[in-house]
Amino acid sequence: MAPNINPTLPLLLLLLLFTLHLSSVSAWKKEEFRTCNQTPFCKRARSRKPHSSSLFATDVAILDGALTANLRQPPPESPDQDQIKPLLFTLSVYQNGVVRVKIDEDPSLDPPKKRFEVPDVILPEFESTKLWLQRFQTETVDGDSGPSSVVYVADGYEAVLRHNPFEVYVREKQGKRRVLSLNSHGLFDFEQLRVKQEGDDWEERFKGHTDVRPYGPQSISFDVSFFDADFVYGIPEHASSFALRPTRGPGVDDSEPYRLFNLDVFEYIHDSPFGLYGSIPFMLGHGKARGTSGFFWLNAAEMQIDVLGSGWDAESGILLPESGSRIDTLWMSEAGIVDTFFFIGPGPKDVVRQYTSVTGMPAMPQLFSTAYHQCRWNYRDEEDVENVDSKFDEHDIPYDVLWLDIEHTDGKRYFTWDRVLFPNPEQMQNKLAAKGRHMVTIVDPHIKRDESFHLHKEATSKGYYVKDATGKDYDGWCWPGSSSYPDMLNPEIRSWWSEKFSLKNYVGSTPWLYIWNDMNEPSVFNGPEVTMPRDALHYGGVEHRELHNAYGYYFHMATSDGLVKRGDGKDRPFVLSRAFFPGSQRHGAVWTGDNTADWDQLRVSVPMILTLGLTGMTFSGADVGGFFGNPETELLVRWYQLGAYYPFFRGHAHHDTKRREPWLFGERNTELMRDAIHTRYALLPYFYTLFREANTSGVPVMRPLWMEFPSDKATFSNDEAFMVGNSLLVQGIYTERAKYASVYLPGGQSWYDLRTGIIYKGGTTHKLEVSEETIPAFQRAGTIIPRKDRYRRSSTQMANDPYTLVIALNSSHAAEGELYIDDGKSFEFKQGAYIHRHFVFSDGKLTSSSLVPNAGKTLFSSACVIERIIVLGHSSGPKNALIEPSNRKAEIELGPLWLRRGKSAPVLTIRRPNVPVADDWTTKIL
Amino acid sequence: MKIYIVIPNLFLILGVLFISQIGRSASKSLLSTDPFLGIAPQDENYYKTSSEIFKCKDGSKKLNRAQVNDDFCDCPDASDEPGTSACPGGKFYCRNAGHVPLLLFSSRVNDGICDCCDGSDEYDGKVKCPNTCWEAGKVARDKLKKKIATYKEGVTLRKQQIEQAKLAIAKEEEELSKLKSEEKILKGLVQQLKDRKEQIEKAEEKERLQKEEEEKKRREAEEEANKEKSKAEKEANQEKNEVKEQVGSEEEPMESTHDDKIGVLDHDPLDQDVEEDKSNSVAEVEHTDKSENASPTDGIEQHAAEGKEESPVVHETDLHAGNEVSPTSDQATKQENDVAENTEGLSREELGRLVASRWTGENTGQHTEEVDAVKHDHHESHEETPEDTHAEEYDGYASETDDDSQRYDNDDMEDPVDEDFGEEDHYDSSPPYKSDTEDESDFSDITSTSNPSWLEKIQQTVRNILNAVNLFQTPVDKSEAAHIRKEYDESSAKLSKMQSRISSLAQKLKHDFGPEKEFYSFYDQCFENKENKYVYKLCPFKQASQEEGHSTTRLGRWDKFEDSYRTMLFSNGEKCWNGPDRSLKVKLRCGLKNEVTDVDEPSRCEYVALLSTPALCLEEKLKELQQKLELMNQEQPQGHDEL
Repeated sequence: MAPNINPTLPLLLLLLLFTLHLSSVSAWKKEEFRTCNQTPFCKRARSRKPHSSSLFATDVAILDGALTANLRQPPPESPDQDQIKPLLFTLSVYQNGVVRVKIDEDPSLDPPKKRFEVPDVILPEFESTKLWLQRFQTETVDGDSGPSSVVYVADGYEAVLRHNPFEVYVREKQGKRRVLSLNSHGLFDFEQLRVKQEGDDWEERFKGHTDVRPYGPQSISFDVSFFDADFVYGIPEHASSFALRPTRGPGVDDSEPYRLFNLDVFEYIHDSPFGLYGSIPFMLGHGKARGTSGFFWLNAAEMQIDVLGSGWDAESGILLPESGSRIDTLWMSEAGIVDTFFFIGPGPKDVVRQYTSVTGMPAMPQLFSTAYHQCRWNYRDEEDVENVDSKFDEHDIPYDVLWLDIEHTDGKRYFTWDRVLFPNPEQMQNKLAAKGRHMVTIVDPHIKRDESFHLHKEATSKGYYVKDATGKDYDGWCWPGSSSYPDMLNPEIRSWWSEKFSLKNYVGSTPWLYIWNDMNEPSVFNGPEVTMPRDALHYGGVEHRELHNAYGYYFHMATSDGLVKRGDGKDRPFVLSRAFFPGSQRHGAVWTGDNTADWDQLRVSVPMILTLGLTGMTFSGADVGGFFGNPETELLVRWYQLGAYYPFFRGHAHHDTKRREPWLFGERNTELMRDAIHTRYALLPYFYTLFREANTSGVPVMRPLWMEFPSDKATFSNDEAFMVGNSLLVQGIYTERAKYASVYLPGGQSWYDLRTGIIYKGGTTHKLEVSEETIPAFQRAGTIIPRKDRYRRSSTQMANDPYTLVIALNSSHAAEGELYIDDGKSFEFKQGAYIHRHFVFSDGKLTSSSLVPNAGKTLFSSACVIERIIVLGHSSGPKNALIEPSNRKAEIELGPLWLRRGKSAPVLTIRRPNVPVADDWTTKIL
Repeated sequence: MKIYIVIPNLFLILGVLFISQIGRSASKSLLSTDPFLGIAPQDENYYKTSSEIFKCKDGSKKLNRAQVNDDFCDCPDASDEPGTSACPGGKFYCRNAGHVPLLLFSSRVNDGICDCCDGSDEYDGKVKCPNTCWEAGKVARDKLKKKIATYKEGVTLRKQQIEQAKLAIAKEEEELSKLKSEEKILKGLVQQLKDRKEQIEKAEEKERLQKEEEEKKRREAEEEANKEKSKAEKEANQEKNEVKEQVGSEEEPMESTHDDKIGVLDHDPLDQDVEEDKSNSVAEVEHTDKSENASPTDGIEQHAAEGKEESPVVHETDLHAGNEVSPTSDQATKQENDVAENTEGLSREELGRLVASRWTGENTGQHTEEVDAVKHDHHESHEETPEDTHAEEYDGYASETDDDSQRYDNDDMEDPVDEDFGEEDHYDSSPPYKSDTEDESDFSDITSTSNPSWLEKIQQTVRNILNAVNLFQTPVDKSEAAHIRKEYDESSAKLSKMQSRISSLAQKLKHDFGPEKEFYSFYDQCFENKENKYVYKLCPFKQASQEEGHSTTRLGRWDKFEDSYRTMLFSNGEKCWNGPDRSLKVKLRCGLKNEVTDVDEPSRCEYVALLSTPALCLEEKLKELQQKLELMNQEQPQGHDEL
């Protein structure tokens, strides 16, 4: 032994260290991410006292149809202090109740650098909705020494610029009640760029990374107040409650602000204000007294937002008069400019419409992408793909898309295939396509620094990579090892990137192949906070700190454009992205990233998706089953039952987990999961109609209850239940072996159990018995839901199948609903090639009429018929229904609400009316 | 050939067109004219009854006959719509004349995809499905014929194997009982020899003491003189020893820590040097560590105390760190935190690898290999593994043991009762078939079956010895004493060999070789399969492993048969990083040779392989296949054979 001691000792120590490294490999690494206190701009802004801003407005004028002013500060008391240059203030008004306020440095005063304004997010057509202001009024608000300038916003609304102290707000004309305001608490602060003086130390260090900060401090912060709001919502992405909890104020434990900084967080926890993969600085306030309002700050730098609990400013001794149900917030950003939007509402749907009029409507998805997706890291080879595919058929479980994660590539070089595992990718995709199925492959932004990789060679020679602070191609570490990142801010590079998706360039791709963008925060394993250094440089000298939160957005955009180009502008793209920013809804779907297989994460998926929907990202979902870890069977089943109602419905799993395809857990559980997936397929016509609604109005598919019941206070903080459209209420089961669930059913009308048709009273909480077969779901009285009850292999084969209409009568025996149909894949709907029906049931008669403007010219037709009409809440007795104009009779009988689903009380069913779905007709119960 | 394929197809296409034409004019829902479409032959009577009333098969409902196959689902059990897609969960029967009939989910009817080779599932005119039954059927029949041929031969082979197995088992059982009785005798002899030896030793001891006494007296004077000096020396020595011991005991825990890590980071390039240095003692230490590991509850309890925030993965690692690094888990946690916060010390590449490894679960060393961006110096030594070292040692040791025939593998080398991991590791690298040839050296002296006289010889020898030696003769006769010692040593060595042979035989015979002992021959065999860079080695009743170069990963130890002897299960293999213990399921199917064909890893560290073997060529199955072929031949459309 003795001679061994010396040589082994250091080795052992090394190994010991190594093991400990590995042992740290797990769970959320809190210390790897900066807290507000470790972030100088945040710490500083948070410590400011109310009314410390001394700005006042001068030179108020109308210029180019907007209200403009200079914001000045009193001259400094001592000559050592910086002379603050005046800031430019612009307030413009847009149609439908949108007010935009911009504050920036005055370019004519030679600032050291132009501050970054985020390009390509605001819709070009938004500018055309600008109202050209002609004049402003002046008034003196009670108690003020100076005047305020007032402009028209919309019927009944005005915007007010209070000169001194500087404040801007929107108010109701009648009674002058405020809706939204900025700088009411005087927390506004704007760090102007200045030339570095000797002795200035601008560097910031965190965890061994140094940020050189060549331009020094440039942060902005201000307070925003939502009046008559009981709660505020929005600002994804956080894994936390839907109604945002105060992060500061009396009774609030030491909390971080809500952070908006796109980060790849390993094993994120389910209740934290920490920033995740995407950022949308858009907040909504909602209250019973008035309704809804919204505030959006277009800024791509790191942002931190405090929700201030009432009484937070008690120390200052100054209370605003309307402090009733007001919610104050503090917004802090590291860089950029003030480019903010006030949305006046007054209804929740008005606010999302206003917001999406600025950032764009959610794209109309391909029909197949609204069906079920099957993913796993990784389906290893062609045989594996074939097996999984055939098992779905064997178990009569429909699915539409099979996904391939990073291992399908040749050494994590995207756009390539591991030819040992996937020797014939086209053939594989064609086989799936023969069953109407599609495939998705992953394409991430990190490009392997490998001289033999054509993409790397090309990007290097063209200078297309993001540069580090010294101007060299930035070299980070990701899946392939040493990697660089194309500079997606540059439109030329985006265009170059989009060409890579052509069938010719992407060898092994077919028209049935769609794309998944992961790691686009961007994730950099050896970067500060697992992302790119803030002093990295982009196109036009823009620092990464200024656009960080939008990097993934541009990448998503370029990929999505690539698929549009590939399809010659005729095929809607489908691109799933993990990172997002305002406007991402125009480019595709997102999901909530690497969640974990536990009950808490099942529960938090609902507020997360609701928040995304409220902020434009309606096409979103969470990994069904949970990405990390092995779900217990019961959890997996419950997750399928809930996931079937997510707008984006995908099962996914980490490669260390056991296989969890739906047929692996015994016959009974296969049946339960099949049933959950079938429910989604049956409801696809309804979902697709809702996606169209989102596409035209911004109103999300999955909605908070208060969006449909805005004055029902009991719904405001409910994030266990949600609405799918206006007709369906769903509540997950979030605990093991639950026997009962308390479900609040809002409104004055009744609700019908989706599965049994049993009627429940509205406006009350029901304690319901829970079975393993389903989670609570109800159809609201007064609505009509279109279904397709024939289950096929995939949604593709359902195209010609007949419809079922489920009419849920309200207390006055009436109901209405819609059905939208188009070809499911092209852009021709934009030219009017679609069917949009309006169904109204009243006085015992169902009428179908068209909602297509200038109907008559038919650009799209369907041979589908309605094979079954179910009427819930109707007395039984009638035997026939008369169909006009064909003057036929259809039998009425008592039938099942769902075929093949246990026993439930039979419901009134019009048998085989077989009316063409595209036509006008009536069906009268005789 | 082609001629008679085309003609029926043409008829069929015309037929389909005709049908769909009628369907179209009849109603918009494109019904088939055949009211009995999709009905299986055994159900035809049920549907063909003349009554105007149709009863759902489950008896739940009565319908008008017109409601059967009217493309509207009425029966909860789907029985009214055998020929349409109206009822979810219904079944559609296609006759597929010329091939095998098929029962489809009704969701396949008129979905635009041809499922039945006779095309009968697609009749709404949207797609044309040519009748391919004759071609497909021919292919299927040929395949079936081949399969039947294989089965026929396989059934014979299987029978032979069973016969052989029965004989061999009987022989072994006989040997076992014989060995047992011989063991009794030998035990007695050894005891006698031992007694005698001890008597002699006592006598010797007595002599020695006497001599010593004399010696002592003689020296006493001298010693007295040197007393002072020697005392001082002694004290000095003692101190030295104490220091040494301290150093040694400090080493101990580190040693075991290191060993554990070898288990975890089985590819770590640093292992090698240490491993070699430590030589034999490693095996022992490893041994104990692993058995500690084997009871995972220890670790879990420990973690419960450590706080809930950590994920199970942390616990896992803690289990190693906590158990072996330092006895107090607090300390381990502290160290862990220190390191976690200390990522600053890492190079940028190391940091990248470290963070990546969170998702991949690979250790960063392994990742390097995959990424292959950087070559590292240890790469070559990496190829040599601890197992190799063991293997060599073991082989040397093995050659001292004896084995005489092909029937015995190296079982007797391992202690069959002691199933600990360390021993199993040795197994990895000394495969049975190898040792068969190498270990033949001298087992002949106990493998008695061929030559039973050896025991008598020993008995005779012992008798002679016992008679010849005069017990109380003093001084002891040196040559006599040596003789007895030698005899004793030899006999007891033989006894222990015999005992190990007994226990290995008993162990073997305890195994479940299948209802007809058809898997008996697997006991002495290993099957290999090469997939890409890996070689998979399956040794039924023992273990299975994956080899890459010189490194071996145990996929599992023999567990049991499952699924009525159609699957072999190897479980409790090496622990997977972030995953479960490795395991392997081997699906068995009929084949003429024992052959592993496919090895796959559908979930991380859960392997599946296919093994074809005559043992699975069951006579009943053969009959089934023959019947199926008969049926297929019957189903051939009339006229084909004539054409």
